[in-house]
Amino acid sequence: MHEFSIALEICRMAESRAPAGRLGELVRVGVEVGDDAGVERESLAFCLETLLAQPPFGQARPVIRHSAGDALYLEYLEFDDGRPDD
Amino acid sequence: MAVRTIDVREKVMAKNDELAEEVRARFGDAQVAALNLVSSPGSGKTTLLERTLDDLGHEIRIATVTGDVQTQNDADRLARHTSQLVQAVVTNGACHLDARQVLTSLEAVDLDATDLLFIENVGNLVCPASWDLGESAKVVVFSVTEGEDKPLKYPKMFRMADAVVINKIDLLPYVPFDMALAEKYLREVNPAITILRTSALTGEGMETWYGYLLERMASARAR
Repeated sequence: MHEFSIALEICRMAESRAPAGRLGELVRVGVEVGDDAGVERESLAFCLETLLAQPPFGQARPVIRHSAGDALYLEYLEFDDGRPDD
Repeated sequence: MAVRTIDVREKVMAKNDELAEEVRARFGDAQVAALNLVSSPGSGKTTLLERTLDDLGHEIRIATVTGDVQTQNDADRLARHTSQLVQAVVTNGACHLDARQVLTSLEAVDLDATDLLFIENVGNLVCPASWDLGESAKVVVFSVTEGEDKPLKYPKMFRMADAVVINKIDLLPYVPFDMALAEKYLREVNPAITILRTSALTGEGMETWYGYLLERMASARAR
């Protein structure tokens, strides 16, 4: 079940990159998982959903994109900046 | 809502890989050959190491790091066969060792007084493939009781390995294991893999295994 440790690492990376005090505004976490990465995508998504629903996160959802090869990347973080749409 | 995106595009394993490079540099500086033994549970890794320590321990300085989900039974078994350090890592549920655990365990190992270091990983053919530990080479231990199609079922692990030890060959008369087919599958997945056949129980094939270990040590010293 190494997907859980990978999910924990993704959360650690998200925490280290989020602007101070803004983790609660994180809405999406983009992850790329290669077919040969040795990671079961549904299992990783489930682990991330569980972790991202808990403090210091609150409303974030994982968005997992699959690709060929063995890529395993945290691609992007999306934040709701609290302002209405332009 | 207005959404702001922060592009990250960073390898999820970047931190582990960074620590693995630190481990690799330590092994390189000390000219230690470090082998990461991986397998499914019950392949005979610990018995293979017990016999190796008995046969080579008087002429080669061998340190061992063992990883288990619970208990330090493997470390206790190995400690009875060597006066060198056997360092136990209990992962408490994790299905693999990571580079941080190996780096921490090296604090207790005198690498300058070590020629060969075995990392006996947690028994699992999936998860340990994703975690670089800074080893010189991965060696898969694969027992004849497991079925010859293991390389096709777990290709990533076999693809990343430098060698495979087909173990428990003393059981070949009693199990329907097709050695030729197993080797064909291994070559399909990894044409360059070194294939060794051993019985740690009877000693058959162990000399070839020891020859492989000496080659890895010579390679570490030549760096």
